[in-house]
Amino acid sequence: MPDPHPQRPFNKAALGRLVDVSRAFGPLKAVDAVSVDFFAGEILAIVGENGAGKSTLMNILFGMLAPDSGHVEVAGHKVSFRSSRDAIKAGLGMVHQHFMLFPGLSVLENILVGAEKATRSGLVDYRARRAEVQELMQQFDFSLSLDQPVGKLPVHARQQVEIMKMLFRAARLIILDEPTAVLTPHEKDRLFQMLGRLRDDGRAVVIITHKLDEVMEVSDRVMIMRAGRKIEETPTRATSRDQISRAMIGREIASPPKTDSRKAGIALEVRGVSVARPEGPLALENLSLSLREGEVFGIAGVAGNGQKPLVEALVGLVPLSAGQITLGGVEITSLDVGARRRMGLAYLAEDRMRVGLADAARIYENTIAGREGSRAFSRRGWLRMRAARQSGAEVIRDYDVAASGPMQRVSDLSGGNKQKIIVGRELAAEPSLVIAENPSWGVDVGAMAFIHQRLLAAATRGAAVLLVSSDLEELFALSDRVGVLYDGRMNGIFPRAELDAYRIGAAMAGKIGGAA
Amino acid sequence: MTLFRHRLFWPLALTGAVLVSLVLFPSLWQMVLAFLDGAAGGRGHFNFFSTLSRTSLIGGMALSVFLSFRAGLINIGGEGQLVIGGLVAALVGIYLPGPGVLVGVVSLLAAMLAGGLWALLAGFFERVLSVPLLVGSLLLNYPASFIASYLVSHPLRDVNSGIAQSHRIAHGAYLPRFSGTILDYGVLLMAAFGIAIIVVDRSRVFGYRARMQGISPEFARASGFPVTRMYFQILFGSGAIAGAVGFVAVFGIAHRYVDGMLVIPLYAWTGVVAVLLARVNPLWVLPAAFLFAALQTGAAGLEHSAGIPREMAQVVQGVIILFLAAGGQRFLQNTTGEGA
Repeated sequence: MPDPHPQRPFNKAALGRLVDVSRAFGPLKAVDAVSVDFFAGEILAIVGENGAGKSTLMNILFGMLAPDSGHVEVAGHKVSFRSSRDAIKAGLGMVHQHFMLFPGLSVLENILVGAEKATRSGLVDYRARRAEVQELMQQFDFSLSLDQPVGKLPVHARQQVEIMKMLFRAARLIILDEPTAVLTPHEKDRLFQMLGRLRDDGRAVVIITHKLDEVMEVSDRVMIMRAGRKIEETPTRATSRDQISRAMIGREIASPPKTDSRKAGIALEVRGVSVARPEGPLALENLSLSLREGEVFGIAGVAGNGQKPLVEALVGLVPLSAGQITLGGVEITSLDVGARRRMGLAYLAEDRMRVGLADAARIYENTIAGREGSRAFSRRGWLRMRAARQSGAEVIRDYDVAASGPMQRVSDLSGGNKQKIIVGRELAAEPSLVIAENPSWGVDVGAMAFIHQRLLAAATRGAAVLLVSSDLEELFALSDRVGVLYDGRMNGIFPRAELDAYRIGAAMAGKIGGAA
Repeated sequence: MTLFRHRLFWPLALTGAVLVSLVLFPSLWQMVLAFLDGAAGGRGHFNFFSTLSRTSLIGGMALSVFLSFRAGLINIGGEGQLVIGGLVAALVGIYLPGPGVLVGVVSLLAAMLAGGLWALLAGFFERVLSVPLLVGSLLLNYPASFIASYLVSHPLRDVNSGIAQSHRIAHGAYLPRFSGTILDYGVLLMAAFGIAIIVVDRSRVFGYRARMQGISPEFARASGFPVTRMYFQILFGSGAIAGAVGFVAVFGIAHRYVDGMLVIPLYAWTGVVAVLLARVNPLWVLPAAFLFAALQTGAAGLEHSAGIPREMAQVVQGVIILFLAAGGQRFLQNTTGEGA
């Protein structure tokens, strides 16, 4: 076999390869003639904007999609997987962005599912399997208690369960899709140590990411994709953050400069707000905060520490069990969503497909939502169709949405364009309070910069912005202050001058908070 | 492989198969003719008018179902709402004195109110007792038909007639018929409902909100639509239309309430299937109802002339349901899919 990469860092044979694979979805070439080798003892980072084809490429490798042309090789043999089952049998493993675990089953049961090695009579020798799992855990320095139900584990431990699942199935080639999206900085460090041990054990590790710091930190080799093509492939130490960024985007992106646009007036006042869960402890406990007009207030925290209940309480989607909320001096605690919106609330929902958009509806039907009953779009209960379509056309124009027109269905649009529709709709009403929930999650870099710029422009105009994000870089770039949520409480508020990833990371993990 | 995937493959293949069968088996022709005669023939196209008459009932129920389904409310209690509406219409028609037109109008309004309230009951069960609408609305069908059965079997029974049925309503209150046919003016009422629904669906803010809610209830809530009010309005409207269908069946066709008259012909369930066949598109709801009505009257014709049991219509309907179910995970227009 000819060696296409004489400069590769470890002199080992390729564990797996993709040879000239292409895959189209309708007219879109998601992956276009890409070849890449996966070497044992190496961490390969695949980077690219959203829609660059990374996930499609990995789904082809993992047997979830068949390539239109080209083929997959494992250990030098051409294979054609019919499903991910075949891929797992061949020694591949994939940790998806959304974990595929049974929350009600124990850690051990989750690891064994599908690989129980049952006897012919259908029994599972749990003692023997437990010993095998424990040995693996020791080898790779995992700390999991095998009998806990997975549903009770924090996210980083669930990720360990996923990795363990693959190791138990003797995966030699391990793919992780955006593995750090849900982790705090400390947990990320631990994950990277773990990946290092997998590499040193002679496995091939592939991580898909769009965070360039992580690429530089953990990978040995980096492959950059753009619009379905492989743009560049190079040893990580031979490149730089900027170089990767340029190759990835194909143009320069200026991140918007942050200036202090805070005004004197108080826009939002939250006093002693608690939100109950159906059972168990409070989802949000005695939380207070106050936002000035023009202020961007960031909310950091590991997902599931009260962000969702806070947002839903502010928007009016869940009832408070205590406390009160005032918007622009008027108490809104008992108002419904519609009334709050008419008072100037805007909401960029994290769940775009279901909450932020009516996906199967047309663009204009989405851009009038929330204002459909206003005089701009209706008269005596009759929709003003022309004005409605016009609003769709305006969002398309002002936000540079790649769409054929306001009659197009939102489900046809890419993730970034969908988010532009939401941002366009919500900011069109010149809101006084913007609640933005992970506004750039899953959005390509260009759209991200654009959305950031629009949020800052809204703040400059005088809107208060509550920015809930799991991306610290984003929080640091935009916020005047950052508050950290831990276990339903505010565990420290950090002014812009004191923003530090590790201190905030500590607060996210429940340790000492910062001063207000 | 690509041949099978071509979008015209199956339509052409099926049409071809039908044409070849007709050539090979000439008796099939007679069957087709007998079916068409049953659905639209007869003296003075008598059967066509009975198909239309049936369409007004099935179509009305389909409109009732459409209203709920469009907004994502799985109200399958149309049968109960229909029965209660028919029963109340009959009661008013029998006992209310006065000029016929007035009795008719009051009966219609009472039937709509009763059907609407019966539907709201399922709504209260869901909102207050957390009984899913699907379950609550379905289960309320049984008390409705049992109450009706009891009333027309005992207290209200026309004892001279020998079967379980109520007395006749006042003669002057009968729904008029188109001259020379058995088709009553109820079909106009249903057509008006159909047009109103299309207009509301397309052009009213209410219709817009209902449509969006059907696509995503979370979106409707987060956009600040008055979702609770809409929920009850839509349920009430759904039930009211079903009640009106009950009125038409009583005042236009039977002129009394006969036990089982609204349940046994499966009007409500055929309405559900018609809405699914129409893919929850308001323009196609009434045509789909017409199709099923023709299927049923046509089958009656087939029974006469070819000896094929009329239950075959139910079998065909069952096959249609099966195919809808197979391809129909998306039947409530939730066509979300993720590309790469």
